[in-house]
Amino acid sequence: MADLDEEQNWVSQSRNGDHAAFAELIRAHQSMIHSLTFRMTGSVADCKDLAQETFIRAYQQLDSYHGTAKFSSWLYRIAVNACLDWRRRELRRGQIHNSWSESNTAGETPADATPGLDDLSRQVQSALMKLPEKQRAAVVLTVYGGHNHAEAAKILGCSETTVSWRIFTAKQKLKKLLGPKGGSLE
Amino acid sequence: MNNSELDKKLKAAQEPALDADYQADFPRLVLANLRSTPREERPVPRLWLPRLAWGLATATCIVLAFAIGHWRGHVETASSAGILENAKLIRETMAMFPNQIRAIVQDEHGLKLVLADRADVPDSPPLYVEICDGNRCCSAVTFSGQEIQLAGQKVTVLADAGGGIILEGGQFAWSSATDGKNVHGLKVQAKLLNTVAM
Repeated sequence: MADLDEEQNWVSQSRNGDHAAFAELIRAHQSMIHSLTFRMTGSVADCKDLAQETFIRAYQQLDSYHGTAKFSSWLYRIAVNACLDWRRRELRRGQIHNSWSESNTAGETPADATPGLDDLSRQVQSALMKLPEKQRAAVVLTVYGGHNHAEAAKILGCSETTVSWRIFTAKQKLKKLLGPKGGSLE
Repeated sequence: MNNSELDKKLKAAQEPALDADYQADFPRLVLANLRSTPREERPVPRLWLPRLAWGLATATCIVLAFAIGHWRGHVETASSAGILENAKLIRETMAMFPNQIRAIVQDEHGLKLVLADRADVPDSPPLYVEICDGNRCCSAVTFSGQEIQLAGQKVTVLADAGGGIILEGGQFAWSSATDGKNVHGLKVQAKLLNTVAM
Protein backbone atom coordinates (compact mmCIF):
# COMPACT_ATOMS: atom_id res chain seq x y z
CA MET A 1 0.00 0.00 0.00
CA ALA A 2 1.34 3.42 -1.00
CA ASP A 3 1.98 6.00 1.71
CA LEU A 4 -0.26 9.06 1.81
CA ASP A 5 2.32 11.54 0.43
CA GLU A 6 3.10 9.30 -2.48
CA GLU A 7 -0.61 8.87 -3.14
CA GLN A 8 -1.19 12.64 -3.08
CA ASN A 9 1.64 13.04 -5.61
CA TRP A 10 0.00 10.50 -7.88
CA VAL A 11 -3.31 12.36 -7.57
CA SER A 12 -1.67 15.71 -8.48
CA GLN A 13 0.20 14.20 -11.40
CA SER A 14 -2.95 12.43 -12.61
CA ARG A 15 -4.82 15.74 -12.53
CA ASN A 16 -2.20 17.06 -14.93
CA GLY A 17 -2.95 14.20 -17.29
CA ASP A 18 -0.14 11.84 -16.23
CA HIS A 19 -1.54 8.40 -17.06
CA ALA A 20 1.43 6.57 -15.51
CA ALA A 21 0.64 8.20 -12.14
CA PHE A 22 -3.02 7.25 -12.49
CA ALA A 23 -1.96 3.66 -13.26
CA GLU A 24 -0.16 3.64 -9.88
CA LEU A 25 -3.37 4.75 -8.17
CA ILE A 26 -5.26 1.98 -9.95
CA ARG A 27 -2.68 -0.64 -8.88
CA ALA A 28 -2.89 0.52 -5.27
CA HIS A 29 -6.69 0.29 -5.08
CA GLN A 30 -7.88 -2.18 -7.72
CA SER A 31 -8.11 -5.14 -5.39
CA MET A 32 -10.25 -3.22 -2.85
CA ILE A 33 -12.56 -1.94 -5.60
CA HIS A 34 -12.98 -5.36 -7.23
CA SER A 35 -13.85 -6.80 -3.83
CA LEU A 36 -16.54 -4.16 -3.28
CA THR A 37 -18.04 -4.45 -6.76
CA PHE A 38 -18.19 -8.24 -6.48
CA ARG A 39 -19.93 -8.08 -3.09
CA MET A 40 -22.39 -5.56 -4.51
CA THR A 41 -23.21 -7.46 -7.72
CA GLY A 42 -22.40 -11.11 -7.02
CA SER A 43 -21.16 -11.44 -10.58
CA VAL A 44 -17.53 -11.61 -11.70
CA ALA A 45 -18.29 -10.10 -15.12
CA ASP A 46 -20.25 -7.17 -13.67
CA CYS A 47 -17.64 -6.70 -10.95
CA LYS A 48 -14.93 -6.25 -13.58
CA ASP A 49 -17.04 -3.82 -15.63
CA LEU A 50 -17.92 -1.78 -12.56
CA ALA A 51 -14.32 -1.68 -11.33
CA GLN A 52 -13.34 -0.22 -14.71
CA GLU A 53 -16.23 2.23 -14.63
CA THR A 54 -15.19 3.32 -11.12
CA PHE A 55 -11.64 4.22 -12.17
CA ILE A 56 -12.82 5.96 -15.32
CA ARG A 57 -15.30 8.04 -13.30
CA ALA A 58 -12.59 8.75 -10.72
CA TYR A 59 -10.23 10.06 -13.40
CA GLN A 60 -12.96 12.24 -14.87
CA GLN A 61 -13.84 13.65 -11.46
CA LEU A 62 -10.33 14.08 -10.06
CA ASP A 63 -10.83 17.85 -9.83
CA SER A 64 -13.56 17.27 -7.26
CA TYR A 65 -11.20 15.39 -4.93
CA HIS A 66 -9.90 18.01 -2.50
CA GLY A 67 -7.78 15.74 -0.31
CA THR A 68 -9.87 16.32 2.81
CA ALA A 69 -10.92 12.66 2.92
CA LYS A 70 -8.77 9.59 2.25
CA PHE A 71 -8.43 8.89 -1.46
CA SER A 72 -9.64 5.33 -0.84
CA SER A 73 -12.85 6.62 0.82
CA TRP A 74 -13.47 8.96 -2.11
CA LEU A 75 -12.92 6.06 -4.51
CA TYR A 76 -15.22 3.82 -2.47
CA ARG A 77 -17.95 6.43 -2.80
CA ILE A 78 -17.59 6.45 -6.58
CA ALA A 79 -17.65 2.64 -6.65
CA VAL A 80 -20.77 2.41 -4.48
CA ASN A 81 -22.55 4.96 -6.69
CA ALA A 82 -21.48 3.04 -9.81
CA CYS A 83 -22.94 -0.13 -8.27
CA LEU A 84 -26.21 1.60 -7.37
CA ASP A 85 -26.47 2.99 -10.92
CA TRP A 86 -25.73 -0.50 -12.25
CA ARG A 87 -28.57 -1.86 -10.14
CA ARG A 88 -30.98 0.72 -11.57
CA ARG A 89 -29.85 -0.19 -15.11
CA GLU A 90 -30.33 -3.87 -14.31
CA LEU A 91 -33.83 -3.21 -12.96
CA ARG A 92 -34.76 -1.29 -16.13
CA ARG A 93 -33.34 -4.12 -18.23
CA GLY A 94 -35.21 -6.59 -16.03
CA GLN A 95 -38.48 -4.77 -16.62
CA ILE A 96 -37.95 -4.93 -20.38
CA HIS A 97 -37.19 -8.66 -20.28
CA ASN A 98 -39.54 -9.40 -17.43
CA SER A 99 -41.32 -12.37 -18.88
CA TRP A 100 -38.04 -13.91 -20.09
CA SER A 101 -36.41 -13.50 -16.66
CA GLU A 102 -39.32 -15.08 -14.82
CA SER A 103 -39.22 -18.19 -16.91
CA ASN A 104 -35.46 -18.56 -17.06
CA THR A 105 -33.78 -17.21 -13.95
CA ALA A 106 -36.41 -17.40 -11.23
CA GLY A 107 -34.76 -17.78 -7.82
CA GLU A 108 -31.27 -17.62 -9.23
CA THR A 109 -28.89 -14.85 -8.16
CA PRO A 110 -25.60 -14.21 -10.01
CA ALA A 111 -23.65 -15.71 -7.10
CA ASP A 112 -25.41 -19.04 -7.64
CA ALA A 113 -23.72 -19.20 -11.00
CA THR A 114 -20.26 -17.92 -9.96
CA PRO A 115 -17.66 -20.63 -10.46
CA GLY A 116 -14.86 -21.20 -7.95
CA LEU A 117 -16.86 -20.42 -4.81
CA ASP A 118 -17.37 -22.92 -2.01
CA ASP A 119 -20.87 -23.56 -0.64
CA LEU A 120 -20.60 -21.14 2.27
CA SER A 121 -19.31 -18.32 0.07
CA ARG A 122 -22.07 -18.96 -2.44
CA GLN A 123 -24.71 -19.02 0.29
CA VAL A 124 -23.44 -15.78 1.88
CA GLN A 125 -23.24 -13.95 -1.45
CA SER A 126 -26.76 -15.09 -2.38
CA ALA A 127 -28.02 -13.80 0.97
CA LEU A 128 -26.27 -10.46 0.40
CA MET A 129 -27.92 -10.21 -3.01
CA LYS A 130 -31.34 -10.54 -1.39
CA LEU A 131 -30.82 -7.33 0.60
CA PRO A 132 -31.91 -3.95 -0.74
CA GLU A 133 -28.82 -2.42 -2.33
CA LYS A 134 -28.37 0.39 0.21
CA GLN A 135 -28.43 -2.10 3.08
CA ARG A 136 -26.02 -4.32 1.15
CA ALA A 137 -23.67 -1.36 0.61
CA ALA A 138 -23.70 -0.59 4.34
CA VAL A 139 -22.89 -4.22 5.21
CA VAL A 140 -20.19 -4.51 2.54
CA LEU A 141 -18.44 -1.32 3.69
CA THR A 142 -18.47 -2.22 7.37
CA VAL A 143 -18.00 -6.00 7.32
CA TYR A 144 -15.72 -6.41 4.29
CA GLY A 145 -14.29 -2.89 3.94
CA GLY A 146 -13.55 -2.61 7.67
CA HIS A 147 -15.05 0.90 7.90
CA ASN A 148 -16.75 2.08 11.05
CA HIS A 149 -20.25 3.52 10.87
CA ALA A 150 -19.04 7.13 10.66
CA GLU A 151 -16.73 6.37 7.72
CA ALA A 152 -19.42 4.35 5.96
CA ALA A 153 -21.84 7.25 6.44
CA LYS A 154 -19.39 9.62 4.71
CA ILE A 155 -18.91 7.20 1.83
CA LEU A 156 -22.65 6.62 1.42
CA GLY A 157 -23.48 10.30 1.85
CA CYS A 158 -25.98 9.75 4.66
CA SER A 159 -26.08 10.09 8.44
CA GLU A 160 -24.38 7.68 10.84
CA THR A 161 -27.80 6.85 12.29
CA THR A 162 -29.07 5.86 8.85
CA VAL A 163 -26.07 3.55 8.38
CA SER A 164 -26.63 1.97 11.80
CA TRP A 165 -30.28 1.44 11.01
CA ARG A 166 -29.50 -0.11 7.60
CA ILE A 167 -26.95 -2.46 9.16
CA PHE A 168 -29.30 -3.44 11.96
CA THR A 169 -32.11 -4.24 9.49
CA ALA A 170 -29.75 -6.03 7.07
CA LYS A 171 -28.32 -8.20 9.83
CA GLN A 172 -31.78 -9.22 10.98
CA LYS A 173 -32.49 -10.43 7.44
CA LEU A 174 -29.09 -12.10 7.05
CA LYS A 175 -29.61 -14.00 10.31
CA LYS A 176 -32.84 -15.43 8.88
CA LEU A 177 -31.25 -16.26 5.55
CA LEU A 178 -28.04 -17.75 6.95
CA GLY A 179 -29.45 -19.30 10.12
CA PRO A 180 -29.54 -23.08 10.69
CA LYS A 181 -32.80 -23.37 8.75
CA GLY A 182 -31.65 -21.12 5.91
CA GLY A 183 -34.96 -19.92 4.57
CA SER A 184 -36.41 -16.86 2.96
CA LEU A 185 -37.36 -13.35 4.02
CA GLU A 186 -41.07 -13.98 3.65
CA MET B 1 -27.45 -16.69 15.62
CA ASN B 2 -25.94 -13.63 17.33
CA ASN B 3 -24.15 -10.70 15.67
CA SER B 4 -20.63 -12.03 16.17
CA GLU B 5 -21.56 -15.43 14.72
CA LEU B 6 -23.10 -13.68 11.74
CA ASP B 7 -20.02 -11.48 11.21
CA LYS B 8 -17.82 -14.57 11.41
CA LYS B 9 -19.90 -16.33 8.78
CA LEU B 10 -19.96 -13.28 6.50
CA LYS B 11 -16.18 -12.85 6.76
CA ALA B 12 -15.56 -16.53 6.08
CA ALA B 13 -17.16 -16.14 2.64
CA GLN B 14 -14.49 -15.90 -0.03
CA GLU B 15 -14.52 -13.91 -3.24
CA PRO B 16 -13.65 -15.58 -6.54
CA ALA B 17 -9.94 -15.21 -7.27
CA LEU B 18 -9.31 -12.97 -10.27
CA ASP B 19 -6.57 -14.38 -12.45
CA ALA B 20 -3.14 -12.79 -12.24
CA ASP B 21 -3.02 -11.79 -15.93
CA TYR B 22 -6.28 -9.87 -15.63
CA GLN B 23 -5.02 -8.07 -12.52
CA ALA B 24 -1.70 -7.17 -14.10
CA ASP B 25 -3.45 -5.95 -17.24
CA PHE B 26 -6.23 -4.06 -15.46
CA PRO B 27 -4.54 -0.61 -15.23
CA ARG B 28 -3.68 -0.75 -18.95
CA LEU B 29 -7.30 -1.71 -19.72
CA VAL B 30 -8.64 1.28 -17.78
CA LEU B 31 -6.15 3.66 -19.41
CA ALA B 32 -7.08 2.36 -22.87
CA ASN B 33 -10.73 3.13 -22.10
CA LEU B 34 -9.79 6.53 -20.71
CA ARG B 35 -8.18 7.52 -23.99
CA SER B 36 -11.51 7.00 -25.71
CA THR B 37 -13.43 8.88 -22.98
CA PRO B 38 -12.11 12.43 -22.56
CA ARG B 39 -11.80 13.89 -19.08
CA GLU B 40 -14.55 16.30 -17.97
CA GLU B 41 -13.59 19.93 -18.31
CA ARG B 42 -13.58 22.31 -15.38
CA PRO B 43 -16.74 24.51 -15.32
CA VAL B 44 -16.27 27.55 -17.53
CA PRO B 45 -16.22 30.98 -15.89
CA ARG B 46 -19.33 32.27 -17.69
CA LEU B 47 -21.42 30.20 -15.25
CA TRP B 48 -20.85 32.82 -12.53
CA LEU B 49 -24.25 34.51 -12.96
CA PRO B 50 -26.48 31.47 -12.20
CA ARG B 51 -24.12 30.57 -9.35
CA LEU B 52 -24.45 34.05 -7.89
CA ALA B 53 -28.24 33.79 -8.16
CA TRP B 54 -28.22 30.40 -6.42
CA GLY B 55 -25.88 31.76 -3.76
CA LEU B 56 -28.15 34.71 -3.04
CA ALA B 57 -31.24 32.48 -2.96
CA THR B 58 -29.52 30.05 -0.56
CA ALA B 59 -28.36 32.90 1.70
CA THR B 60 -31.92 34.30 1.80
CA CYS B 61 -33.28 30.86 2.73
CA ILE B 62 -30.70 30.48 5.51
CA VAL B 63 -31.54 33.91 6.96
CA LEU B 64 -35.27 33.13 6.82
CA ALA B 65 -34.79 29.68 8.39
CA PHE B 66 -32.64 31.18 11.14
CA ALA B 67 -35.22 33.90 11.86
CA ILE B 68 -38.08 31.38 12.01
CA GLY B 69 -36.01 28.98 14.10
CA HIS B 70 -35.06 31.73 16.54
CA TRP B 71 -38.69 32.82 16.85
CA ARG B 72 -39.89 29.27 17.51
CA GLY B 73 -36.88 28.36 19.67
CA HIS B 74 -38.45 28.34 23.12
CA VAL B 75 -41.55 26.46 21.95
CA GLU B 76 -39.38 23.75 20.32
CA THR B 77 -37.17 23.36 23.37
CA ALA B 78 -40.10 22.84 25.66
CA SER B 79 -41.69 20.15 23.47
CA SER B 80 -38.40 18.38 22.66
CA ALA B 81 -37.42 18.12 26.30
CA GLY B 82 -40.66 16.22 26.72
CA ILE B 83 -39.54 13.79 24.00
CA LEU B 84 -36.56 12.71 26.10
CA GLU B 85 -38.84 11.91 29.01
CA ASN B 86 -41.26 9.95 26.83
CA ALA B 87 -40.76 6.40 28.12
CA LYS B 88 -42.39 4.70 25.12
CA LEU B 89 -40.25 6.56 22.61
CA ILE B 90 -37.04 5.88 24.51
CA ARG B 91 -37.94 2.19 24.90
CA GLU B 92 -38.64 1.85 21.15
CA THR B 93 -35.42 3.60 20.22
CA MET B 94 -33.46 1.33 22.59
CA ALA B 95 -35.10 -1.71 21.02
CA MET B 96 -34.08 -0.52 17.56
CA PHE B 97 -30.39 -0.30 18.49
CA PRO B 98 -29.84 -2.81 21.30
CA ASN B 99 -26.68 -2.08 23.34
CA GLN B 100 -25.63 0.51 20.77
CA ILE B 101 -27.13 3.76 22.07
CA ARG B 102 -24.61 5.89 23.96
CA ALA B 103 -26.96 8.85 24.27
CA ILE B 104 -29.94 10.68 22.83
CA VAL B 105 -28.98 14.33 23.12
CA GLN B 106 -31.20 17.37 22.81
CA ASP B 107 -29.44 20.71 22.36
CA GLU B 108 -29.95 23.92 20.43
CA HIS B 109 -29.34 22.02 17.17
CA GLY B 110 -32.13 19.53 17.82
CA LEU B 111 -32.27 15.84 18.70
CA LYS B 112 -29.18 13.71 18.07
CA LEU B 113 -28.74 9.96 18.44
CA VAL B 114 -25.19 9.03 19.51
CA LEU B 115 -24.43 5.40 18.64
CA ALA B 116 -21.46 3.18 19.40
CA ASP B 117 -19.81 1.43 16.44
CA ARG B 118 -20.50 -1.94 17.99
CA ALA B 119 -23.29 -3.22 20.23
CA ASP B 120 -21.09 -3.06 23.33
CA VAL B 121 -22.88 -0.53 25.55
CA PRO B 122 -23.62 -2.43 28.80
CA ASP B 123 -27.25 -2.95 29.80
CA SER B 124 -28.29 -0.42 32.43
CA PRO B 125 -31.34 1.70 33.17
CA PRO B 126 -31.55 4.93 31.17
CA LEU B 127 -30.68 8.17 32.92
CA TYR B 128 -32.08 11.62 32.17
CA VAL B 129 -29.50 14.40 32.47
CA GLU B 130 -30.05 18.13 31.97
CA ILE B 131 -27.45 20.90 32.17
CA CYS B 132 -28.39 24.56 31.76
CA ASP B 133 -25.89 27.34 31.28
CA GLY B 134 -28.02 30.45 31.67
CA ASN B 135 -30.88 30.07 29.20
CA ARG B 136 -29.03 27.44 27.13
CA CYS B 137 -30.08 23.96 28.15
CA CYS B 138 -28.83 20.59 26.93
CA SER B 139 -30.49 17.39 27.95
CA ALA B 140 -29.79 13.76 27.24
CA VAL B 141 -30.91 10.25 27.91
CA THR B 142 -27.80 8.16 28.49
CA PHE B 143 -26.42 5.25 30.48
CA SER B 144 -24.02 4.81 33.35
CA GLY B 145 -20.39 4.79 32.24
CA GLN B 146 -20.94 6.89 29.11
CA GLU B 147 -18.91 9.99 28.32
CA ILE B 148 -21.07 12.44 26.39
CA GLN B 149 -20.74 15.97 25.04
CA LEU B 150 -23.16 18.26 26.89
CA ALA B 151 -23.23 22.03 27.22
CA GLY B 152 -19.90 22.30 25.44
CA GLN B 153 -18.00 19.90 27.66
CA LYS B 154 -17.37 16.20 28.06
CA VAL B 155 -19.43 14.78 30.90
CA THR B 156 -18.97 11.32 32.36
CA VAL B 157 -22.20 9.89 33.74
CA LEU B 158 -22.08 7.30 36.53
CA ALA B 159 -24.91 5.66 38.44
CA ASP B 160 -24.75 3.32 41.43
CA ALA B 161 -27.04 0.43 42.38
CA GLY B 162 -28.89 2.63 44.87
CA GLY B 163 -29.98 5.04 42.15
CA GLY B 164 -27.37 7.68 42.98
CA ILE B 165 -25.99 9.60 39.99
CA ILE B 166 -22.65 11.34 39.60
CA LEU B 167 -21.78 13.68 36.75
CA GLU B 168 -18.17 14.59 36.16
CA GLY B 169 -17.39 17.34 33.68
CA GLY B 170 -14.18 19.15 32.79
CA GLN B 171 -15.13 22.07 35.03
CA PHE B 172 -17.53 20.58 37.55
CA ALA B 173 -18.61 17.51 39.48
CA TRP B 174 -22.19 16.93 40.57
CA SER B 175 -23.80 14.26 42.70
CA SER B 176 -27.47 13.47 43.28
CA ALA B 177 -26.54 12.73 46.91
CA THR B 178 -25.72 16.37 47.62
CA ASP B 179 -28.27 17.56 45.04
CA GLY B 180 -26.68 20.98 44.71
CA LYS B 181 -28.55 22.24 41.66
CA ASN B 182 -26.09 25.03 40.83
CA VAL B 183 -22.45 24.11 40.24
CA HIS B 184 -20.02 26.60 38.72
CA GLY B 185 -22.90 28.61 37.29
CA LEU B 186 -24.49 25.54 35.70
CA LYS B 187 -27.93 24.26 36.66
CA VAL B 188 -27.76 20.48 36.77
CA GLN B 189 -30.48 17.86 37.01
CA ALA B 190 -30.22 14.06 36.65
CA LYS B 191 -32.54 11.20 37.41
CA LEU B 192 -33.09 7.53 36.73
CA LEU B 193 -35.57 7.52 33.87
CA ASN B 194 -37.17 4.13 34.44
CA THR B 195 -38.06 4.79 38.07
CA VAL B 196 -39.79 7.99 37.08
CA ALA B 197 -41.50 7.28 33.80
CA MET B 198 -40.88 3.78 32.41
